[in-house]
Amino acid sequence: MLDHLITQHALLTILGMGLVTYLTRISGYLLLRNKNYPRLTRVLEILPGCVMISLIAPIFVTGKLSDLIAVILTILTAMRFSFLVTLIVGVGSAGILRHLLPLLLH
Amino acid sequence: MSAPSSAAQQKLKNHIHHECLRAFKTAIPLMISFIPFGMMLGAQAKIKGMSLLELVLMCGINFAGGSEFVAIGLWQEVPPLLLIVCMTLLVNCRHILMGVTMIPICRRQPVRKMLLSFFLLCDETWALSLQDSYRRMGEGYREPFSYSYYITIAVSFYITWVITAVLGMLVGPLLGDLTQYGFDMAFPAVFIVLIKGMWNGWRRGITWACSLVVACIVHLIIPGAWYVIAGAMTGLLFVLCVPPRFFEVNRA
Repeated sequence: MLDHLITQHALLTILGMGLVTYLTRISGYLLLRNKNYPRLTRVLEILPGCVMISLIAPIFVTGKLSDLIAVILTILTAMRFSFLVTLIVGVGSAGILRHLLPLLLH
Repeated sequence: MSAPSSAAQQKLKNHIHHECLRAFKTAIPLMISFIPFGMMLGAQAKIKGMSLLELVLMCGINFAGGSEFVAIGLWQEVPPLLLIVCMTLLVNCRHILMGVTMIPICRRQPVRKMLLSFFLLCDETWALSLQDSYRRMGEGYREPFSYSYYITIAVSFYITWVITAVLGMLVGPLLGDLTQYGFDMAFPAVFIVLIKGMWNGWRRGITWACSLVVACIVHLIIPGAWYVIAGAMTGLLFVLCVPPRFFEVNRA
């Protein structure tokens, strides 16, 4: 009946994605919830930072000088200033450098 | 009997209201950073011939941006179901680690409630909620996990994601690539601030640096989302291999 809006195959694909994603969301919590290893605690103190820094790795290696400078500026700002200032410097420097650097280098 | 209980109820109501407002204020900059990504997603879905209903269902049921970009990249008239589902699993593997890191924080919360709220867990919600819980732990709160805080952030992101994707499908192709204005730097900026908040000396820093280097190398040589897993696993191995005392020196 809804064939013109969504095909059965597309619906199954989307439901499959949703199911798999939900399982990844709950499985770590569900499986290790009642375990208590001292090593696990130690890992859990450091792992969040490892996941976060890995998530943003691509911005360091886009191959564009503008992105590298912008991300370094963002890190330097984050060391001294608040979240909002860092956000503005990050987005602003990326936007400006991506337009200006190609002009300066050519 | 009703007077004190209604006073308590009022107090609880005020508290929840306060937590929701605090969460929403924290979420705003990130909600803005969702706009270019959501619009890009919608615009690409349109190019690939997805219908609006398919896009809304994908964003609403899956709600994990990275895997949706991959799925749309692979989308066809008859989408390759198994390939897309496997890629989704790969891209979203990191959620397993995120779920594990939530355990010490939400120990006192009912399991069923957490299982329901994990439906909305995404990178940004996880990071903000974790940071907030660490702060509350540091300030000596009995319960580190603020459920109202978590759910407000999660729902704000959910709504923003679906709406911006729809907008992207409707008007995205007219605007062109929004990343040229630098909006995509918001995501790294947020995580840099959060990582800085967890900094407690160079010992942790070394672990993170190892993760970053490996993640960068893997990102350059292997296509797909392997870099997140590789980076996280590097950190994990590092922690398991060095003696426990290594990290304890800096603990206040």
